[in-house]
Amino acid sequence: MAAVTLTNVIKRFGVYEIIHGANIDIADGEFVVFVGPSGCGKSTLLRMIAGLEDISGGEIAIGGKVMNDVEPADRGIAMVFQSYALYPHMTVGQNLSFGLRMTGNPKEDTDRRVKRASEILRISELMARRPKQLSGGQRQRVAIGRAIVREPQVFLFDEPLSNLDAELRVQMRVEISRLHKELGTTMIYVTHDQTEAMTLADRIVVLRGGHVEQIGRPLDLYDNPDNQFVAGFVGSPKMNFIKGRVVGRNTRSVTVELVGEEKARIIQPLAGAVPETGAKVIVGVRPEHFGNAGEGDADLTVGIDVVEHLGGTSFIYARTAHGEDLVIQRDAAKVPETSEITVSIRKSYLFDENGQRLR
Amino acid sequence: MSSLSQRRLGRSLLLHLFLTPLAVIWLFPLWMMIVFSTMPDNGIFSPGIELLPHDNFLANFHNLQRDTDFVGAIGISVSVAVTYTVLSVLLTSMAGWALARYHFVGKGFVVAIILGTITLPYAVVLIPQFIMVARDFQLANTWVALIVPPLFNSLGVLFMRQAFSMMPHDLFDAARVEGVKEWRIFLFVALPLARPMLAALAIILFLASWNNYLWPLLINSQPGAMTAPVALGTLIGLTKVSWGGLMVGAVMLTVPMLVVFVLLQRHFIAGIAAGAVK
Amino acid sequence: MRYQNATAYRFLTPYLLIFAIFWVWPIISSFMISFQATRTVPWRFAPTFNWGRLIGDPAFFNALKNTLLILVIQVPVMISLAIVMAVLLNSPLLKARALYRFAFFAPVVVGEVAYSAVFRLMFNLDFGIINKLLAGVGLVKIDWFSNVTPAMALIMIAVTWRWAGYNAIILLAGLQSIPEDVYEAATLDRVSKVKQFFYITLPLLKPVIVFCAVLSIIGTMQLFTEPFLITERGGPGGGTETLGLLLYRQGFRSLNFGYASAVAYTMAGLAITITLVQLWLTREPK
Ligand SMILES: Nc1ncnc2c1ncn2[C@@H]1O[C@H](COP(=O)(O)OP(=O)(O)OP(=O)(O)O)[C@@H](O)[C@H]1O
Ligand SMILES: [Mg+2]
Repeated sequence: MAAVTLTNVIKRFGVYEIIHGANIDIADGEFVVFVGPSGCGKSTLLRMIAGLEDISGGEIAIGGKVMNDVEPADRGIAMVFQSYALYPHMTVGQNLSFGLRMTGNPKEDTDRRVKRASEILRISELMARRPKQLSGGQRQRVAIGRAIVREPQVFLFDEPLSNLDAELRVQMRVEISRLHKELGTTMIYVTHDQTEAMTLADRIVVLRGGHVEQIGRPLDLYDNPDNQFVAGFVGSPKMNFIKGRVVGRNTRSVTVELVGEEKARIIQPLAGAVPETGAKVIVGVRPEHFGNAGEGDADLTVGIDVVEHLGGTSFIYARTAHGEDLVIQRDAAKVPETSEITVSIRKSYLFDENGQRLR
Repeated sequence: MSSLSQRRLGRSLLLHLFLTPLAVIWLFPLWMMIVFSTMPDNGIFSPGIELLPHDNFLANFHNLQRDTDFVGAIGISVSVAVTYTVLSVLLTSMAGWALARYHFVGKGFVVAIILGTITLPYAVVLIPQFIMVARDFQLANTWVALIVPPLFNSLGVLFMRQAFSMMPHDLFDAARVEGVKEWRIFLFVALPLARPMLAALAIILFLASWNNYLWPLLINSQPGAMTAPVALGTLIGLTKVSWGGLMVGAVMLTVPMLVVFVLLQRHFIAGIAAGAVK
Repeated sequence: MRYQNATAYRFLTPYLLIFAIFWVWPIISSFMISFQATRTVPWRFAPTFNWGRLIGDPAFFNALKNTLLILVIQVPVMISLAIVMAVLLNSPLLKARALYRFAFFAPVVVGEVAYSAVFRLMFNLDFGIINKLLAGVGLVKIDWFSNVTPAMALIMIAVTWRWAGYNAIILLAGLQSIPEDVYEAATLDRVSKVKQFFYITLPLLKPVIVFCAVLSIIGTMQLFTEPFLITERGGPGGGTETLGLLLYRQGFRSLNFGYASAVAYTMAGLAITITLVQLWLTREPK
């Protein structure tokens, strides 16, 4: 078991810098999820930790040892690939034992490890089959099994569930969680699915365009995002963003008026710097933070476009008079039949024009 | 509805009316090869039109064997072609693997020269190759002379590079993470997965070696060292030669390949078509 | 991807070694030999000895003329025929497809020596089956081997028979990579089959056709075995002598390596020039 430390890690492909100096500390035994939109560099970062990509700048240490020039096999890691990367011409058993056999591991030890992994993952009865004869979920188990067999210090997963259908994905997510509890090994997990990130992670690393946007525990990111990107990325449905303008200020708070809604004003206490009067800001409101009229700061009447009933709760897709789209979460019983609804803002986040959180 | 299917029928008829005579013409030389090989020499050189096989094949074979040691030459041809194929497949797929899998200094240059040699006539290297092998290395009339110089082969490397780069590279990375050495990844992961491509390549290389004429003609011209095509070629144009025997030789060179072609058509065609799918 | 120079070159070394010894060095060497008088011992540097002779050698110009003649007639005919074969073999209306494929593709496996022997017999003046058939339908016999024009025609027929199917295989693979729905869309737009061929198939197939043409040109440029064996050493009277044959006679009969190397470089120059012109003429408009 080992901690993983990334210090100022930079990656360039030719002249293009893809990762712009990432600093990430991962504690021993922690489950950390890298999350971010497609192309943000999650896989690249993971492959650098694995040793499959050169490190253009900075340092990666595993278990306190700098690994920049160490071969992948000697880093004490095991990796599960998005495509599973099972050898199609070998049986499940051969797939599990291939690496150990090829590196001259004693046979009894190999057998023991394979047996243990197949028991942990409940694939013992599949050992004689070829990958082609397995279902998606079973293939995924074998791929994970192949990592377990290595008894690594750190597990690396690159979007391991993205090829599975929704139901299996939930099931395998639970399975991976269980595995982490059982083994207690450090795990680094890449996904672009924020739900996966929220449910699996001890801590989440949010990436965008090769920058680390924020690192924190799932609920911290949810409750206390550093910027508009993280606020929008974490949580489903997404946080609503409404344009606003500073109309009043004192040293510890601002008054913000929503654009096009003269009556809707929000007073937000601020610990840090307070923006000038007249400054444009963005008000972020999560769908569940809309209350009934009069409950919160500002009342706002919006036209209802569509209502999605999910059973207990419903989502109202609405539009402000100014033409901004909003998603509002409501108890199913409290959705009006009318074409309009007045809601209040119970809780909001303030961002400056550049998307940085004001707090 | 019926007019549509009538039109299709008409078109189909036209297609077959055109293609059938063409196919017959195309098969005709092969058919005549077989017919000739079964006819006595005085039958071949007689005024009548003979289109069906006779029963003189064995006698013709004895005539051929009398004119030249064809069986011995076939033996050389088979051994050379097999050895060449194995070595060339290995060499070519190793090079193709390196080009498909690794980033390395000089890669662009290597690819460029391989592409460049496709358009370069073999004639340019023929004379120095001959001088080097025959005079400098003193290897004329040996197997090495037949096998080694033709080992360089550019289309094959490009074919194998294509084959390997179409495989998911995660497979190789997975093995690498597990500490499997690169040559073992090549041997135990990449090559088994490339089996159909290797088969195609092997067939094409075997055929090329089996039919190769100019180089063996130059370098292995001594009677005991000739390949089968060369041995047969020496008979063409001699005045006192059994043409029936010559045709038996042609049949022995051709028919096994035709059988292989029919049995392994898919691989054959894949190998030849490789040039088109870039 | 990490740079892995050592590993990569370990895999490449055997191949590159063969390449260096049997190609790179000969390419250089043959260039140098072409500037030497090689019939004296020791060889002597004489820059204009071979090239000077080449420019004034009627045998060279005869071979050049014959080679180019075969090139401009045989290659286009063969490629056109190969396209027709490929398109027809690809037709969904075709029955017994395997049989037709066998017929056209079979020559691909036939060695030059074997088919040269067969063609010699088939085209024999008095006893050849071709002349017998010509006479049978009331035509005159043709003396294929004693007159230049028939002899050239024979060479072209032989080469076309041997290689048309080979090109058809490549073209067929190209055809099969054209998506079916392009044709379906055209059919719905009432584009006739013939127009589909000229406006869809040919343009989409162009890169493959160019590839075939380049390979064929380089092959025909070096034509050797057929005039060597079928028309007996380029007969009648040098009427079918090609550059390949001239090179063979000069290099390996007269052991005049210097002159033969000059001929070889001429062939290479021609092949590369024609290929480049071909690529330039058929380049994609930018
Ligand atoms: N070998 C390469 N050469 C050049 N650029 C590359 C290479 N590999 C990746 N990139 C670029 O690096 C960026 C990050 O790629 P990466 O695969 O890490 O994204 P990702 O976050 O894993 O995305 P996804 O969710 O789609 O898998 C992309 O813009 C990609 O185009
Ligand atoms: Mg990725």
